[in-house]
Amino acid sequence: MTGSTFAAALGAERRKTTGARVVATTTVLLVAGVALLAGALTMAATHGNQQVLDQLGPLSNRTGWPLLTGVVAQVTAAAAVLGFGVALGWMFGREFTDGTITGLFALPVSRTTIAAAKIAVYLLWALAVATLLTVLLGVVGLALRLGPLTGDVLAALARQHVLTCLSAVVALPTAWAATLGRGPLPGIATAVGLIVIAQVMVVGGTGAWFPVAAPALWALRPDAVSPVQLTLVATIPLVLLPVLLTTWHRLQLDR
Amino acid sequence: MADHRLAAHRLARRFSATAGVFGVDLHVAAGEIHALVGLNGAGKTTLMRLLLGMLQPDAGTAMINGLDIRTAGPRIWSTVGHLVDAPLAYRDLDTRANLALAARLHGVPRRHTDYTVDDVIAELDLHHYRDIRARHLSQGNLRRVGLAAALQHDPTVIVLDEPTNALDPAGVILLREALLRRAAAGAGILVSSHHLDEVARVADRITVLNHGTVIGALDPAGIDIERSFFALVHTHDQTRLPT
Repeated sequence: MTGSTFAAALGAERRKTTGARVVATTTVLLVAGVALLAGALTMAATHGNQQVLDQLGPLSNRTGWPLLTGVVAQVTAAAAVLGFGVALGWMFGREFTDGTITGLFALPVSRTTIAAAKIAVYLLWALAVATLLTVLLGVVGLALRLGPLTGDVLAALARQHVLTCLSAVVALPTAWAATLGRGPLPGIATAVGLIVIAQVMVVGGTGAWFPVAAPALWALRPDAVSPVQLTLVATIPLVLLPVLLTTWHRLQLDR
Repeated sequence: MADHRLAAHRLARRFSATAGVFGVDLHVAAGEIHALVGLNGAGKTTLMRLLLGMLQPDAGTAMINGLDIRTAGPRIWSTVGHLVDAPLAYRDLDTRANLALAARLHGVPRRHTDYTVDDVIAELDLHHYRDIRARHLSQGNLRRVGLAAALQHDPTVIVLDEPTNALDPAGVILLREALLRRAAAGAGILVSSHHLDEVARVADRITVLNHGTVIGALDPAGIDIERSFFALVHTHDQTRLPT
């Protein structure tokens, strides 16, 4: 992988991603959808809507900014992994279902470089989504008159930003599943599977020791998750990325 | 050897006892248009995939510009243009963006991208479709975009699988002229086709593939190459019949 071939691959993936309806739709859903949903639930709980309060569980005792940031963390825990997983699974799987994969062979830009560029563009996009969501949450909170932006509020919003970014990291296995399954659907199924497994593991008592669940638990209760548990999230890209790049290097059009 | 733009040496990839490519020798010289003809399932696409590294061979070697493709680097691959199966065109991007993207992936420097794309749009008469997204193009025009993506960087090795599929008569003529120009400039071109009359118009050599093996050649200047083709295939099929 040379600098010029990576720049060419990065430019191509950036163009494909910015022009894609799937990515644009996912961006709107993850930013405006999550922020508006969290804002609506916060407003309903603040006005004493019993149905919403029952659904919020332990969060129903909170008020103001802690209620909004708690609700959005709970929503993001599942929605961000699903949203990022759909987009990433599509970014890799569409090459097979659209037939463009044949055009990615016999190029001066290797398939390993193309896969690395896809991941780089995906992570940059996820960072942008996380930033937009955090800013919009601040606007929603101020619009709902939840109080001033104190240090604690800013810290909670920063945790939300980190949670969204880590959700994108957690969704990385969808790229490998879409590659092995030769289409977006295996990637989407993997995203759903990750969410379900995380729920089961938490209920089963592993708590934050399961890397997929750690970011959301940390965003909801920072004191309940140790730095070691949160650091374990890094094992996902450390294991997954070499496997993904090797799979693209060895790829054959044999099925 | 050095004159061969593209070569297969005992190239083999077996999918089953009857499907695959079984020890094919073939070469394409500089300045030559070499046509590959055969019935459906004869192994034309598999052979092209092996030559382009899309499939790993069970045996044999594929060479591009004299170099084994297993050791070929970016410099060698930048001399290749191909269209096998679907075109390299993304549904959400317009023709111009798709061609610019393909040019960059084929090693065209950023500063040369604009005129490279403009030239091929003019050459393949894509002016009317330059701002149209691929999702809205007809199959024929999408094919033209795919051919433009394969040819715009002036490769010296060109591999096209059924390039005239879905093209209208005007597109067929434009493609024929584009290939003849590139062959005259020294490119080696391998094309597969079902259209024997079309192949006869442009090819310098015609190789017949049947059941994954080369069974003979046809004379492009021959009077009735369709009859010759079926005679070759029939004779080969007879030799394969169980006794």
